[in-house]
Amino acid sequence: MKRALLIAGGTIGGLGAVLSITPPHFGSSTGIAGGIKTSGSTTPTTPTATTPTAAPTQSAAPTPAKTKKAKPAATNKATAATTAPAASGASGTFTGATSNTQFGPVQVQITVSNGKITAAKALQFPNRDFRSQSISSQAIPYLVQETIAASSSNIQGVGGASYTSQGWYDSLVSALAKAGMK
Amino acid sequence: MTDLPTKRARVRAEIETWGTILYLDVASESVGESELNVGIEECRKYFYFIDDVFSTYKAESEVSRLRAGKLNLSDSHPDLREVWAACEYAKAVSDGFFDPWCVEGGFDPSGYVKGWAADKAIAILKSHGAQNIQINCAGDLSLAGGFENGKPWNIGIRHPEEKHTIVKVFDIMDGAIATSGTYERGAHIKDPHTGLIALGARSATVYGPDGGLADALATALVVAGRDGAYLFMKPELAEYNCWVIDRHGDQAWSPR
Repeated sequence: MKRALLIAGGTIGGLGAVLSITPPHFGSSTGIAGGIKTSGSTTPTTPTATTPTAAPTQSAAPTPAKTKKAKPAATNKATAATTAPAASGASGTFTGATSNTQFGPVQVQITVSNGKITAAKALQFPNRDFRSQSISSQAIPYLVQETIAASSSNIQGVGGASYTSQGWYDSLVSALAKAGMK
Repeated sequence: MTDLPTKRARVRAEIETWGTILYLDVASESVGESELNVGIEECRKYFYFIDDVFSTYKAESEVSRLRAGKLNLSDSHPDLREVWAACEYAKAVSDGFFDPWCVEGGFDPSGYVKGWAADKAIAILKSHGAQNIQINCAGDLSLAGGFENGKPWNIGIRHPEEKHTIVKVFDIMDGAIATSGTYERGAHIKDPHTGLIALGARSATVYGPDGGLADALATALVVAGRDGAYLFMKPELAEYNCWVIDRHGDQAWSPR
């Protein structure tokens, strides 16, 4: 996936090698696949719930504090080049359960390619009134982005972002379970 | 912490106010969901109250009337006087790089109030038995007690332009982390010294014990850029640190 390659390669917008850009849970090559089932069913476009793998956070979250050290950019590049294409998890489109929030129902659909989320969109999102609508139209793009980020980073909050929705999160978890990724 | 499984109540909630949506993640091993929800409701009322006092978008808010010269500071709500004094301190400790008086229309404490109020809300939630608390005010977070079982909150910081990219993750048990930049709502930060759009940094993240001051210092660093690094050598800011992406040169730095 583009994002994974960019991060591991340390070339995000050219911020790159000078940054300690490696997110903690990206510290090892298994970090990418850590939250993702890599050896499971690859049946495309079959949104049948597969058995979730063993708690992904176990492999994805090895002692966060230590991993703050960035790996040398060169190593990351090599890692990304070999592991990213090799990841062979689920592929297809998976729809999460509808989550009822105080603003209305939220339902998320994710598209997965080789075990990585390549797109996420809201099938249902609150739009009861104009106010909600304007918030929703702002929120969805951010949530999509945060979803994609979260698929390879075990984080519980996003700084510098705009909005994180529990409804989105709940529906996403259910979609990930269907994809056998969580 | 014990390894024995414990029953943990966890409630996540959203509160629409301040022109955005606040996200709360609250957990406890000592009280149940219903008590946590009571605390969250109290926070909701408190946030609405803060909006009524501090909003610059409400003509009848105390801040709006203060700006219009229709209200004297001495007659204002104690919270407003507290924030005023705190802003004076933040301006002083940031050597004027944070200056809520240097805003079109007069005193605008918006850059301070979010973090300050989030800290107050943490106290409210703790009084209702909450132990693990995250309050996310549109990307500025106040945190307490770690995520669970002695583990910190893992907070990702978004790339200033590539919004789906997390460029840095901080592990925080207690404290605040605030990120300022020109990317979220356009160029909204002015350099108090020149009156021009701030050019110091594309994104500045500050973390430390106080939410309001972290907010203010993040704003200051967007103005100051590398020129503001020395601020973090001040003994008053010994508990604060920052992580800043330069305006130019595609580099990030941290003073220590």
